[in-house]
Amino acid sequence: MIDGSVAGSTGPAHASGLAIETTALTKRFGRQTVVDDLALSVPRGSVFGFLGPNGSGKTTTIRMLLGLAQASDGEISVLGERMPQRLGSVLPRVGALIEGPGFYPFLSGSANLRRLDSADGFAPNGTRSARVSRALDTVGLGHAADKKVRAYSLGMKQRLGIANALLAPRDLIVLDEPTNGLDPQGTREVRSLIRSLADEGTTVFVSSHLLAEIEQMCTHAAVMRAGKLVAQGTLDELRSAGTTRVIVTTPDADAAARVLRTLGLDPGHPDAPGPAVTATLSESIEPEDIVAALVAAGVRVRGFAVDHASLEDLFVALTGEGFDVVQ
Amino acid sequence: MSSSDPRASGLNARRTTRSLGAGFFASELAVLFRRRRTWAMLLALAAVPILIAVAVRISSSGSSGRGPAFIDSITQNGLFVGIAGLTIAIPLFLPLTVGVVAGDSIAGEANTATLRYLLVSPVGRIRLLVVKYLAAVVFCLAAALTLSIAGILIGIALFPVGPVTLLSGDTVGIGDSLVRSLLIALYATVSLLGLSAVGLFISTLTDAPVGAMAATVVLSIVAQVLDSLSQTEWLHPWLFSHYWLGFADLLRQPIEWSSFGQNALLQLGYVVVFGALAYGRFSSKDILS
Amino acid sequence: MPRTWHRWIPAAAAPVAIGAVVLGGVFATSASADPADKTPQQVLELAASSTVDTFSGTIEQSSNLGLPDVSGLGGSSDSGSSSDSSDGSDLSSALELLTASHTLRVYVDGPEQSRVQILDDMAERDAIRNGDDLWLYDSSDSTAVHSTLPADASTAPDASAESLTPAELATRFLDAVDPSTDVTIGDPVTVAGRSAYDLILTPDSSTTLVSSVEIAVDADTGLPLSVDVFAQGTSDPAFHVAFTSLSLDTPSADLFDFTPPAGTDVTEKALPNRDDAPAEGSATPDAGTHPEPIVTGTGWDTIVELPASTDPSSLTDSPMLSQLTTSVDGGHVLQTTLLTVLITDDGRVLAGAVPVESLQAAAGK
Repeated sequence: MIDGSVAGSTGPAHASGLAIETTALTKRFGRQTVVDDLALSVPRGSVFGFLGPNGSGKTTTIRMLLGLAQASDGEISVLGERMPQRLGSVLPRVGALIEGPGFYPFLSGSANLRRLDSADGFAPNGTRSARVSRALDTVGLGHAADKKVRAYSLGMKQRLGIANALLAPRDLIVLDEPTNGLDPQGTREVRSLIRSLADEGTTVFVSSHLLAEIEQMCTHAAVMRAGKLVAQGTLDELRSAGTTRVIVTTPDADAAARVLRTLGLDPGHPDAPGPAVTATLSESIEPEDIVAALVAAGVRVRGFAVDHASLEDLFVALTGEGFDVVQ
Repeated sequence: MSSSDPRASGLNARRTTRSLGAGFFASELAVLFRRRRTWAMLLALAAVPILIAVAVRISSSGSSGRGPAFIDSITQNGLFVGIAGLTIAIPLFLPLTVGVVAGDSIAGEANTATLRYLLVSPVGRIRLLVVKYLAAVVFCLAAALTLSIAGILIGIALFPVGPVTLLSGDTVGIGDSLVRSLLIALYATVSLLGLSAVGLFISTLTDAPVGAMAATVVLSIVAQVLDSLSQTEWLHPWLFSHYWLGFADLLRQPIEWSSFGQNALLQLGYVVVFGALAYGRFSSKDILS
Repeated sequence: MPRTWHRWIPAAAAPVAIGAVVLGGVFATSASADPADKTPQQVLELAASSTVDTFSGTIEQSSNLGLPDVSGLGGSSDSGSSSDSSDGSDLSSALELLTASHTLRVYVDGPEQSRVQILDDMAERDAIRNGDDLWLYDSSDSTAVHSTLPADASTAPDASAESLTPAELATRFLDAVDPSTDVTIGDPVTVAGRSAYDLILTPDSSTTLVSSVEIAVDADTGLPLSVDVFAQGTSDPAFHVAFTSLSLDTPSADLFDFTPPAGTDVTEKALPNRDDAPAEGSATPDAGTHPEPIVTGTGWDTIVELPASTDPSSLTDSPMLSQLTTSVDGGHVLQTTLLTVLITDDGRVLAGAVPVESLQAAAGK
């Protein structure tokens, strides 16, 4: 497991500025362990990507974070307070979209939001309608406010779900697969919305099974596989945790390999066919020094490249080939 | 989608203390009475006394002497139609509609996936249970009043109206008889409190509202069947349906209040037991819908 | 879920709490202050000297005579108090009164004004006496019977319903106390929230079906509050009648002012001459049309014999009767835990709280 040095991963969350922290969080359904010994650390102000194939335990984790499901074991702290013990004071500061929107089809979009707003005991009645129309405008549903949700498209329902998460000022917004059902334009809008929320200082916790989505908008990420956390940290940390290779294209492969060995590297055969030598770059050697050494040794260098492993490589490496459902 | 507006302080103002839930209760009633299903059920209930009155009016060739004496009395006094309607509706139609509302209470929210959003609002699980139960009680009252009022109106339209003869043979004026009709509607409402609590509990057991509704209605029928079997006589005073037809005691002179009181106590017992069961189940339940 | 087990505490506690309230209520009612000790004779005198003639209350009456419940059989809607003249329905209504449980309300204001209501499901039977007017009203078929008492009548004839009140019934038993009866006092009891002496009458006879009679006599007023008749070999009372609530306030005068409602089928009925009426037993208004009964035996072993009526087949051919009776030597017998009725083949009817052999012996005389 790769653990980025994100603030201290232990210790009380309010002291360390964590929006979400879990220790040894475990959820069992009968004999099946769905979430296993999870230690999440979500820093305040981050846009945190929660990545994993379908069925890897992301949604169950989110349900536990929000007090919908009871943890079988372990501790949860959200916005510095224990969950679910302090649920009443934590949840009003948390907006959430959980596993798709849920609305009364026979009510209009605004009536649905008014109902959910009235369920929040701290939301004043007087300003309810204004809050609802502001949230609808924010997600671009102002024109469909009085339409029955039955007549909404999947994308509109998704936006309404996000509008619900934005009804009140939030310190933390949890979005489970927020771009599901959205067209490319809608996806871009959600991304820009998340960025603007982050700019205002809101912590955003986004779960997704799509790596590209996370890469484009997140500052931090965690990767789940089969109920276990397999990586966590800033995107840069995660990237650097992957290997960086140098690829030397040369007709003098043996000579190049000797030079690389003298530099303390471990050359091997490249994946691609052709006259080339590769080696995993170690931190102590700068790429330009390698080129200089090769040239000094008379190796005819036709090409030289430094190859950072992509997050996708990492994701595939961590979660297995393809994004199949993990049983 | 634009970025959210600059945070207007007025809109973002928060209450310092948590509200008791009057706003949410109003919202619950709005949701209940904005559903077409609710109105369909109330209309069906209103149709019961209307059908009785029309049928009796058409075949007013004389009483058959069979069935409750009420059915015969309505030809003499239209004010009895409401009571006749309640008598007919109490064993089946009222439990049916109450079973739908109470059985749907939690399971229906789970089914539309709105339950998880209510809970993270956060509505509070106990508050949700209480509000759901109170809304079911309001529906019971609405259903009983619908039967009463529809019956009285159709009775006034089709039959003569005058002083009402009570079971004791005494006669009371129209005003007194309307008060008694209201009391009977209240009695029917109280009678259904236990069933509503049972339905609420069943509704916490499942995510399938139709199953919860059916189970609640079936239980109401089972209770009435047990109540009519002499083999289960020891059980009779404990069945929630035991006093359902006891509203006849409100038609005596003077009014016999003991069945009203016993009924209320029994229903209160059911509310306490099944309310506690619903709390135990719902407060520890994983919401996975 | 080990973390959430405590959420089920209310669900476990609720039935316990309700049970405690229910049982606690029982204990509380039995824990009222005991009345001062009295000898059986003093309690008998207390009951005899009772002057309560103004009260209202609710009475529960139940029977466990070992008879099938015939309330569902045909004819039961014709009530005893409406006094249909046919023997068959008289019989069925009498059986209905004997076998079913009833709740009654009584309102009494002096000897001249009384009202008894039998509270049936969705119906009611009323017997109202107001001065010289006597009304019997049955809501199930909207019928009323009106009688006017003769001006010189000192007491009203009993409506059959009224004879079911504990006071009336107890008076009959107490009047019958003779040397063949052991009178003792049991532990004080509470009836209708009032503390009372428990007077136990035990027949000193081996041939009666009655094992004992318990009468609760109100400690304050001497008014009998409940009567339980126990049959030989049973622990539950074969016949039970008791006040469940009692008020000594004067009932509202409106209750005795009865006018039959519009649409009621009103029958005027002349009353039989009081002097000819039997001292004991049948008191239906048309009893006078029956031949004089013959009383044999004394005390608990008393046997009443009705001579053959003009049409014995109306009794013996009744399908309900054939369902209830068994054929014995010399006739048909209706056997209950408390009472035996023998209908002889020649149409005589013998009844008594005695075994069938005694009746057969009496019939054979």
